[in-house]
Amino acid sequence: MPVRVEETTSSSSSSSSASSQLSGHTSPPVCTLLTVGQAFSGTQNVSSLQKDEAWRVNVRIQGCDLDHGYLCGTMEALNVPMADTPVVTFWEGEIVDGKNYTFYTGKWEALSEDDIRHWTKFPSFQPFLEQVKVDGGKSLDLINYPYIFMRWKEQYFVNVGTDCGLTIAGFYYVCFSCTDGSINGFYYDPNSSPFQKLELKSTNEGRSGFSFSFYELQ
Amino acid sequence: MPTANTIFPIHGPVDLLTRLDSPDPETKLKALREIKNQIIGNRTKKLSFLKLGAVPAVASILSSYATQSDSQLVDADVSTSSIIVQSAAVLGSFACGFDAGVRAVLDAGVFPHLIRLLSNLDEKVVDASARSLRMIYQSRLAPKYEFVQEKNMEFLISLINSECENVTGLGASIITHSCQTSTEQRALCDAGILKKLISLLEGSLSQKNATLESLAAVFKKNPEVISKFVGLENERAVESSLSQRDSSLESPGTVIKNNTESVFKFVGPESGSALSSIIELTKDRYARTRLLACMCLVVIRNASPNYLQDMGIKAKLVYLLLELLDDPGQVGDEASFVFSSLVAGKKDLQQLAFENNAINKFCNQLQKSQLHPKRLQGVLLALADLCSKLESCRLTFLSLKVLNQVIDALTHDCADVRTSACICLRSVTRSIKNLCAGYFMNEMLVIPIIRLLDDPSVSVQVAALGVISNIVVDFTTRKSTFIQCGGVKQLVQLTKSMHSTVRFNALWALKNMMFLADDRCKEGIFLELTGSLLASLISDPEPCVQEQALALVRNLVDGCIKSIEYVFAEDGTLLDAVGRQLHNVSDEVGIQGMYLLGNVASGNELHKEAVLQQLLAQADNGAQSFVIKFLQSSDSRLRTAAVWVIVNLTFPSCPGAFGRLVQLKNAGIISQIRNMVNDSCLDVKLRVRTVITQSMTFGDGLT
Repeated sequence: MPVRVEETTSSSSSSSSASSQLSGHTSPPVCTLLTVGQAFSGTQNVSSLQKDEAWRVNVRIQGCDLDHGYLCGTMEALNVPMADTPVVTFWEGEIVDGKNYTFYTGKWEALSEDDIRHWTKFPSFQPFLEQVKVDGGKSLDLINYPYIFMRWKEQYFVNVGTDCGLTIAGFYYVCFSCTDGSINGFYYDPNSSPFQKLELKSTNEGRSGFSFSFYELQ
Repeated sequence: MPTANTIFPIHGPVDLLTRLDSPDPETKLKALREIKNQIIGNRTKKLSFLKLGAVPAVASILSSYATQSDSQLVDADVSTSSIIVQSAAVLGSFACGFDAGVRAVLDAGVFPHLIRLLSNLDEKVVDASARSLRMIYQSRLAPKYEFVQEKNMEFLISLINSECENVTGLGASIITHSCQTSTEQRALCDAGILKKLISLLEGSLSQKNATLESLAAVFKKNPEVISKFVGLENERAVESSLSQRDSSLESPGTVIKNNTESVFKFVGPESGSALSSIIELTKDRYARTRLLACMCLVVIRNASPNYLQDMGIKAKLVYLLLELLDDPGQVGDEASFVFSSLVAGKKDLQQLAFENNAINKFCNQLQKSQLHPKRLQGVLLALADLCSKLESCRLTFLSLKVLNQVIDALTHDCADVRTSACICLRSVTRSIKNLCAGYFMNEMLVIPIIRLLDDPSVSVQVAALGVISNIVVDFTTRKSTFIQCGGVKQLVQLTKSMHSTVRFNALWALKNMMFLADDRCKEGIFLELTGSLLASLISDPEPCVQEQALALVRNLVDGCIKSIEYVFAEDGTLLDAVGRQLHNVSDEVGIQGMYLLGNVASGNELHKEAVLQQLLAQADNGAQSFVIKFLQSSDSRLRTAAVWVIVNLTFPSCPGAFGRLVQLKNAGIISQIRNMVNDSCLDVKLRVRTVITQSMTFGDGLT
């Protein structure tokens, strides 16, 4: 979800190399609630010192390639004060699987201390803290862990121009619960308010149960 | 500088054919020579002589003089030999690179005479016949030579062992043309042909080239033969390698002889072995030899990945093939195809090629005007393989602005080019990032692609369906573009094709189109498809078609809750077809079927009850319910899909949930679920827990 451009914001989004695909790793974690077509809704807290504020957010998973630790989708911010319509952005995600990606970001102006500061905000990360300090989590077996850690980086605005007064320079540290499909995240951008919290729940779009659609590229 | 030929007048084709009939051998000979000179390398001339019946006329001369030569106990006289040599040369020229010529030569029945002439006493006759036969064997129209038969193998070996260059070349060409099965590859290997072929790699240019091609045919997809070949020593190479390395070692040759492992350890896996002879030829001064050596190495690597693993060799192959692409002729045309088979399906090589600017090189070729169809086809296929896995390649391709050239190729006269253009687009449109941006859903691409659905070639149709399957996964609101261009109507027509591949791919495209489609789009597709057609596709004889049909309906009933009603249309024929089909299906089909039922079961009470009845219907007949079978499957994806159906049927706060839970319990389904609390798959385990938690809300529902 985009946030307001603050005066000190200067950098634009850098391209992630989601497809720097390595081979020969073990199977990544699989969760049906984190597959293409799945929708989530909730809020992002964008409070500042001056004002408490939260924007409603909808997320939809549009692409998923677990072998390469890749995920992508759209994020829609609904009640953005300076926008007439909901603002939709396209994001790409890196799944921390110890093979394609570790807990250390290594880009987007995030130092390892920033990584640790954000990951430790998730209680489910605690068991990994010591090992992550050693090797970023490379040696961890995350396949049977009921939480999936990710980084989501917005890449472009889908329905508004870049001059909309919003920025997507930062990225999210994300923790997904395989049990109920809930998502917690923290937005990180050195030039924005720290620890903006993202809270999403899996939506069933008016149904009494869970529905799954799917596509395959040829 | 060319000058006017005032001494020897050039005769017209009709005149020359008349002269062929002359009883005077000298006139006949001159006419043959002149025809040969006129048609060499000139397709138009070949065609005009062909139309006038020149081939049967020359074939008749060769046959009669060959018979005459057979009856002579000593060497035939000079004019007989010369006429045979010239007529064989004329026939060879007609066959050279010209399928119509090959067909005419074969139809004229001269082939057995040419074979017989290989045993002629006159070396020139043998040479000319061999040369002519080689031309014929370069065409796919040439008859297959059944060398597995003992006598034929002896004959083939005699050709390979010949002192005459064209005869050994003919032997190699016969192998290239006729060695197609692993039995034939093994037979050649057992007959000791490999050793002889290795020695021919040191022969003349034409021997080297013919041998490299034949080796590729013998190696193709046959690791056993390759292993034997690599084990063979090229003695000269070993000796030279050894002398260079350490002359002070005590008779290393003795240790190494017949011990491949030692050779590998001593001089590395490639040097000194037979393989080194081929590697060496990648440095040959002739482009064609370099290309064929590369082709041989690629065939070896594809069949036996253990060989040629060294990064240096891989990089060298990439570099060489990209360099050969610059050759303006046939070598350049063929280089793309060899490159494709080098990188196809191999991400490491695609990455290496990407780093060596391969995308730019192939895209540069596309920007040239009037490419030969073969080259265009090869370039498109190479780009398809390069962009098949790596997003970085796709993004570079798109940045080079050659998409229009590929789209132009969709309307090319040659079906192979149209197919290749589709395959290239299929790879490029795998870019999720660009799909999400709706980059590919525009009329410039959609209109020509939809037109290809009417193509007379099934291969083109299938390739076009591949592109459509990708571009209709459009997350913007542009799916309507495809519908407005008549795409859905065409796809639905193709689901009725007699070719199961076409039905399968058309359904795949419709399934992707249905993914997250809005209500209007869904309605449009369903009206066109109809419930009865979908029901028949779910019961298609081909499992892959069933799977796609079920997946399509799965997507149809997702989204807005009212879309579930589609499966109840026409008296519920669609849902009944699903239930009927699921009692005996593969895992893949079962997965789609269970997600379909799960999606229906996420609806209202009526929807849930209808699904429950489908699950229990089998149990009523005394047979085990398919859902129990699926819950016990070894495929965790199928177990997951099956548990989701139960999660939805027992979803809390639904009035009928308890009643359904009881029925599921009575059918033994709940006890099966309870057995799965420690399932090896986390996803299954978590969904099983959800079912148990939900059932707890009804107190003793599970006990």
